[in-house]
Amino acid sequence: MKSPGDDENTGLPFLRTWRRVYLVVAAIFAVWVGLLAALTRMFS
Amino acid sequence: MNAADYIVLVGALLGIAAYGMWRTRGSCDLNTYLKGASGTHWLAIGLSVMATQASAITFLSTPGQGYESGLGFVQNYFGAPFALIIVAAVFLPIYRRLNVYTAYEYLGHRFDTKTRLLGAGLFLLQRGLGAGITIYAPAIVLSTVMGWRLDATIVCSGLVVVLYTVTGGSAAVTLTQKYQIGVIFAGMVAAFFVLVAKLPAGLTLTDTLTLAGGFHKLEAVDFSLDVDRRYTIWSGLLGGLFLALSYFGTDQSQVQRYLSGGSLRESRLGLMFNAVFKIPMQFFILLLGVLVFVFYQFERPPVYFNRAAWNYQAEHGGAGRLRALEAEFAQAHSDERLKLQDWLGARHAGDRAAAAAAFAASEAAHERGDVARAATRAALGSSGPRTTANDSDYVFITFILDYLPHGLIGLLVTAFFAAALSSKSGELNALGSTTTVDLYRHIIRREATDAHYVAASKWFTAFWGLVAIGFALFANLVENLIQAVNILGSIFYGVVLGLFLSAFFLKRVGGTAVFWAALAAQGLVFSLYAVLSISYLWYNLIGCAACVALSLVLQAAIDLAGSADEAPAKP
Repeated sequence: MKSPGDDENTGLPFLRTWRRVYLVVAAIFAVWVGLLAALTRMFS
Repeated sequence: MNAADYIVLVGALLGIAAYGMWRTRGSCDLNTYLKGASGTHWLAIGLSVMATQASAITFLSTPGQGYESGLGFVQNYFGAPFALIIVAAVFLPIYRRLNVYTAYEYLGHRFDTKTRLLGAGLFLLQRGLGAGITIYAPAIVLSTVMGWRLDATIVCSGLVVVLYTVTGGSAAVTLTQKYQIGVIFAGMVAAFFVLVAKLPAGLTLTDTLTLAGGFHKLEAVDFSLDVDRRYTIWSGLLGGLFLALSYFGTDQSQVQRYLSGGSLRESRLGLMFNAVFKIPMQFFILLLGVLVFVFYQFERPPVYFNRAAWNYQAEHGGAGRLRALEAEFAQAHSDERLKLQDWLGARHAGDRAAAAAAFAASEAAHERGDVARAATRAALGSSGPRTTANDSDYVFITFILDYLPHGLIGLLVTAFFAAALSSKSGELNALGSTTTVDLYRHIIRREATDAHYVAASKWFTAFWGLVAIGFALFANLVENLIQAVNILGSIFYGVVLGLFLSAFFLKRVGGTAVFWAALAAQGLVFSLYAVLSISYLWYNLIGCAACVALSLVLQAAIDLAGSADEAPAKP
């Protein structure tokens, strides 16, 4: 049985809290949209 | 397909199913049967969530969508990362803390039995009726192009998935989905490389993208505020967030997948895996369609991709008109190809004016071809058998059968069936679990052994599997069934999400208020559907908003009346 502390630990290097994980996921989303917008702009 | 293709198809599908059954044999522990192995890794959870959502029609139809309309459809998924973050941060910890088997158990904890049964009932009704489509939709496309019997395709694929889902439960579903999605990715990547290799020599990456962009296939992001446009970044962010939240947060077929994690961490990482990779995956599948489009500018495609429908109409009195349209299309395509070759030569020679003129001429020829295609589509209508599915559904499978080498054809057809089985198994698993936990164990037989509930769950899973197969067989007789089931889903989805949002965020609202609010909201949705002609997607929003708003109003009325039977919300 895992303790609640284990659940709080993301186990990821540099991303020790879930808040940071969510921010990174949102940032990756922003990068994807930026790339897709650039693709749209370059070839339309 | 030749013998090599059939060996790949049958070997891979049956091999994965048999392996799943063998690895999960003899499990009679209810927790393992319904939630899966306790040590399930986050990557397995992430792949399982992805495999449950991506059905065969995703991989058959989405390239066709890219072929017809370009990359714009990717915006539909822009709300998904944020929905998954909300599910991971808010929904998931509550489900895990209460150690529930189904999402609807939570409604029982938070409200009362009647609200739990309402949530479970709406899920069973919607997902149970829609279950046949997951088998039917790919079966109609694949059986049409392969010349297989539709009923045999439905029964064979249906029985395989029922067999291993019943035998191994959630553990077998997660395990097989891992390998099935591996086959799907392998097939898609193989198709990509074959496509790139088959593009004309001398056509560089920049040429390919410029050509696709010139035909408006690379408009991936649209910042327009025009509400009449189907895909914009705003509709994707708002509508996509709403739809993904209801699907990932309250649909048991998804909830069961991420509850299989050994810890909150594994489940959260599995969801974040999807939040990161969902958009690139959809982009890649759409890009395949765009590349097929570029390929077919240099190789003549059929005027109508559903050749079975074309042949049927040609044999039943329409041959003259159809052949005339086909000749018109062939001439237009020939002109277009010549002009594109001129464009390519001028472009490589650095002659911009000549390149622009040649491209404009190719566009004009392309429009003539589009006119011939539209006339063919109109001539075919829905008069023949199996013409209810969109012609674009047949684009990718036509390319695969015509241009991929044997062996790879088998791999791609295997990928489509693997996608059908993986999403179907997740649905059946959820239907069996919900029937067992929320109805049978809660209402009919409260005290029994784990082995008894596992046996009951197996019977219920088999029952829903047979319902799905029967529905898919019956679906052959009904027109526009896919659309009908989508409408059915949207009619119920909003109210179910409204129940959960009220539970999470309206702490003062009790069971009686939310129960009657949900029923009233559902009645409102039914009424509006009967009198309005708006897009059915809006009913998701209307149902949810009505349920939440009516819950607040009814709770206020109950409080005012000083009702004593409403307990305050549990923390």
